[in-house]
Amino acid sequence: MIIRGVFSMSIINRLKSLFKGENDNEEEDIKTDVSNTSNDVEVTSSQSVNEVADSVEEEANEKDLTSEKDIEPLEEDKAEEETVIDEVSEAEEVSSEEIVEEKEEAELEEAIVEESAEEVEETSEEVDADEEDSKDKDTKGDNMTLLTDKELLNDSNRDPDFTAEFIDAGIETVKHCFQCGTCSGSCPSGRRTPYKVRQIVRKCLLGLKEEVISDEALWMCTTCYTCQERCLRSVKIVEIIKKARNIAAHAGYMAKPHKMTGVFVMNTGHAVPINDAAKALRVKIGLPEVPPTTHAYPEALEEVQKLCKITAFDELIGYDEATGGLKE
Amino acid sequence: MEIAYFLGCIMNNRYPGVEKATRKLFEALDIELKDMEGASCCPAPGVFGSFDEETWATIAARNLTLAEDMGADIMTECNGCFGSLFECNHILKEDEDKKAKINANLAEIGREYKGTIEVKHFAQILRDDVGYEKLASLIEKPLDLNVAVHYGCHFLKPTKTIGIEDQAENPSILDDLVEITGAKSVDYKDKMMCCGAGGGLRARDLDVTTSFTKEKLDHMTEAGVDAIVNVCPFCHMQFDQGQTEVNEKYGTDFALPVFHLAQLYGLAMGLSAEELTFDAQKIDATPAIKKALGE
Repeated sequence: MIIRGVFSMSIINRLKSLFKGENDNEEEDIKTDVSNTSNDVEVTSSQSVNEVADSVEEEANEKDLTSEKDIEPLEEDKAEEETVIDEVSEAEEVSSEEIVEEKEEAELEEAIVEESAEEVEETSEEVDADEEDSKDKDTKGDNMTLLTDKELLNDSNRDPDFTAEFIDAGIETVKHCFQCGTCSGSCPSGRRTPYKVRQIVRKCLLGLKEEVISDEALWMCTTCYTCQERCLRSVKIVEIIKKARNIAAHAGYMAKPHKMTGVFVMNTGHAVPINDAAKALRVKIGLPEVPPTTHAYPEALEEVQKLCKITAFDELIGYDEATGGLKE
Repeated sequence: MEIAYFLGCIMNNRYPGVEKATRKLFEALDIELKDMEGASCCPAPGVFGSFDEETWATIAARNLTLAEDMGADIMTECNGCFGSLFECNHILKEDEDKKAKINANLAEIGREYKGTIEVKHFAQILRDDVGYEKLASLIEKPLDLNVAVHYGCHFLKPTKTIGIEDQAENPSILDDLVEITGAKSVDYKDKMMCCGAGGGLRARDLDVTTSFTKEKLDHMTEAGVDAIVNVCPFCHMQFDQGQTEVNEKYGTDFALPVFHLAQLYGLAMGLSAEELTFDAQKIDATPAIKKALGE
């Protein structure tokens, strides 16, 4: 039968690629990336052969389950189904033995291959026990999804207006993200802080407003653009982060040092204003004591201050005109 | 040739030697640097851009109108200023709605953004408008110095809109400009990584910023360089003052002096360490300068 043939081939191919280790890298990349976005950098560097073997084992289990699931639609002919299963498991055993032999002939004695080969044979007899085990592992270690059994998202969690703010701001590319994780893997901040850029992009698209704007890690981005440069889907990631920060700032999530930077600009026109030491230094090397900026032109400073009031920036940071500081 | 010279904040208010060197260099190149009287903070792209886009664009557009009135393209030698002014100029040229909104604000102070000028980075002007040959002719005595080039972030990225280099993974503009002075640009691990100061991070979480800087200093030191060369006063400050913060926090003894590209050219053109205000920097540049000049 055609279907049977396809099944046998696909199982054999999967096993072949499994023993060749073709999937190992992919699996490990994902694991590494998840570790990267967590706090603990040590975990990444201590990734051991055992862990790799574990992931191979998990995958092997998944394959077993898949093959059974895939067969279910053939219920019309139960006798045939059994035959298929038998043949599949035969094919598995035969091919795994053959492939292991091939590997040995080629003198590839990597521990990973041998271990996983043994494990596949063992686990095929203990599918039920290991099924539980792999479910456990999934919920414990997998940060790839925002969904957990406990906190399923539904429309009540979502704020479509939040997502619309990104689209309206011209950042339609937020919709193009396919969650590959290149951004998180490239992020220098994600290597040392809880900042998970991929997750934030996803949450922005899902409309999880409160989760995004109340997250302190949102402010751990240095806007270095490495993520955006490398994004396979040309998502304007830094624009998304800045927009999310705008919304957070307007909702009251703005750190005092940031408000103070705003105060400096309101008072002097500069985020880093001149001081006496710099004035002395300028005079010493033959430059005008005060540069020809808002420092030297009070009417220019007034323009800047007026513009900050027009855009209500003074209110945003809580600027107190009377004291030239913050209101609180 | 005339250029509207945008000073920004940190360069002229903390490291005036960079301004001095730039004025000398452009005098020698016979390019007139015209002051943008009454210019303000750019304002910082990752800071003000993170708080309120409209305020950010309005203040940036006001700065752009100063240069439009002068009929000259803007030059800035700070990546942050470049990022803000270039991006704002780009957005307002492309987006009529945003232009109308910002112009409504500017009308209140009697100004109008027209979109008649370009914003250029110092290094870009040296490469594209001056040319490497002419620059080389200004070097009195080639410098003997191994340097770690730090590109910073808002100079080349996002490459798709800025276009100074096609890609930001392996650019050459700064390495070429450094090597014209005789100095050697030494490759090092994670060269394109951020210094850690941007996006409001330095103000908000100094520990995280310091950890970025430590990683960069580790890699630069491993490569055995004599100094760091940058094109952004904020990165400059982060490597200079931030280096003392790294040493304090981690108990390290990093001592890599920090040069803005303009200071490197100043040195190669015969300006003194005092004129370049190296004496006011936190990390002692004397050993590197002596080596560079063969003293």
